[in-house]
Amino acid sequence: MALERFADVVERFTHGYGNGHLMKPGAETVKQWQEELERAVRRAENLQRMITNPQEPRVGQTPRQEIYRKNKSRLYRYQSKRTHRTPLLFVPNLGISRPYIFDLMPGGSFVEHMTREGFDFYMLDWGVFGPEDNDLSVDDCVIEILPRMTRKVLESSGAESLSVLGYCMGAPLSASFLAAHPETPVKNFVDMAGPIDFSKVGLFGLWLDKRYFNVDRFVDTIGAVPADMVKAGFKLLKPTMDLSTNLNLWWNLWNDKYVEGFNALNRWANEYVAFPGEFFRQWVGDFYQQNKLFRGEAVFGGRPVRLSTISCPVLVVGAKEDYIAPPECVRALIDAVSSRDKDYVELPGGHISLIAGRGASLHCWPKVSGWLAPRS
Amino acid sequence: MADASTLNPMFELWRKQFEESAAAWTRMVGQAPPPPSDPTAFWRPILNQGLEQWARLFAQTPMTPDLATQWKQFMDQWIEAWSKALGQAMNTEAYAQMMGKYLDQWLVANAPMKKAAEQQIDQALQVLNLASRTQLTAVAKQIVELEERLERMEDTLGAILQRLDHKEPR
Repeated sequence: MALERFADVVERFTHGYGNGHLMKPGAETVKQWQEELERAVRRAENLQRMITNPQEPRVGQTPRQEIYRKNKSRLYRYQSKRTHRTPLLFVPNLGISRPYIFDLMPGGSFVEHMTREGFDFYMLDWGVFGPEDNDLSVDDCVIEILPRMTRKVLESSGAESLSVLGYCMGAPLSASFLAAHPETPVKNFVDMAGPIDFSKVGLFGLWLDKRYFNVDRFVDTIGAVPADMVKAGFKLLKPTMDLSTNLNLWWNLWNDKYVEGFNALNRWANEYVAFPGEFFRQWVGDFYQQNKLFRGEAVFGGRPVRLSTISCPVLVVGAKEDYIAPPECVRALIDAVSSRDKDYVELPGGHISLIAGRGASLHCWPKVSGWLAPRS
Repeated sequence: MADASTLNPMFELWRKQFEESAAAWTRMVGQAPPPPSDPTAFWRPILNQGLEQWARLFAQTPMTPDLATQWKQFMDQWIEAWSKALGQAMNTEAYAQMMGKYLDQWLVANAPMKKAAEQQIDQALQVLNLASRTQLTAVAKQIVELEERLERMEDTLGAILQRLDHKEPR
């Protein structure tokens, strides 16, 4: 093989032909060079493959069934052994990105983990919004869509109660829904990296401050927030992210498994979703600028939203290096609810690596499933 | 073995260039309020630490593939230092104010242009007897509303059926 011949050439070049006593002192160095050269060749091969024959990564492979659809939103049920009676409704963020990150690839999927653990898992996919959805508001999500989704989960599973797990923006939306509908039979609530106290929300909080950002003028002028603008906002949060991502790709380009994971994650990371205009107006105005949810001043669809009305068991999970929803703004839920059974855990990782990737499979997923299992 | 004495001037030169460019950048983003006495102070320790560590490692290491690992470590630290520096610069009122002002100007300039372009396109499509984006959006909105009405009817029917089910055993 060309690879071995090249390595042999390097060895002969470094140590001469068969001169045993000369080879001994540099044997480790030669081995390192061989490994490095093998990696260089594999890097070149993978780079060529990525450029000339890019493969569309297969994502979202866990078998699922569409239970219900409402406009762009879909409710999916994932196959499981169902060893726990209480179904789990997963509510991700609306807009920004697609939810297949939670079922990215076999062996690296939160959905796969939860179904393997026996949870009757339902995922709400808010969908990709167009200009016709510009009137969709937070009220619609909290008062119309989420109650309907929970009803459909209960109908489909035949259970009397359900658990709700909100991730990122899905957590404050779910918390608002639970607080506005205390009659809903929710057995457990999990907030994963979901901001609650928006006075501690970091860079976005500062940039969207009403002194500097006029949300009404913004929405009145451009209508929906286009995907490219959402992308620009998130890229600006961490301007060096692309540089470090590409550096790490080059460094690990010899590793086929890394490249496979990179392709899947890269597809997701570059697939941004637009925000409906009215939703964005209300989201920024009520949550970021006025912090109404945490201050107990939110009213959706005429219903007052008080977090203190949430009394079911609550688990809050924050990520140590989360710059989108810093741990302190996530943790605030613990003090705001009236539940007696409540836990807060702070895990290593950032906003995405909390729930996706190898670190998540070691730290986060077992923690969430372990907390939910005895309560389900 | 690499010679530390030949490497150090190179690093000094690089560091100087790096500091000057970063200082210029920081000046640029922080124009609104009066600049702090030493605008580079906040990132200097991180950068110095990274550069010194790399220079030390580089000077002590023979030419093995380990050098690549050290280069990668240095790059990681360098990116991290930049990330922290940028993060700190962007996490200021001055930056938020500047961005808000820029966005406002863009919106003020963009709004009439957008409106004019939409009107032009609508007129052109009307002449060609084609549906405009506004018309298609209106139709899509009507479908969404129709779906919503059906949903409400379904809910009402469900509730009535449930009530009837409860009555039947009596």
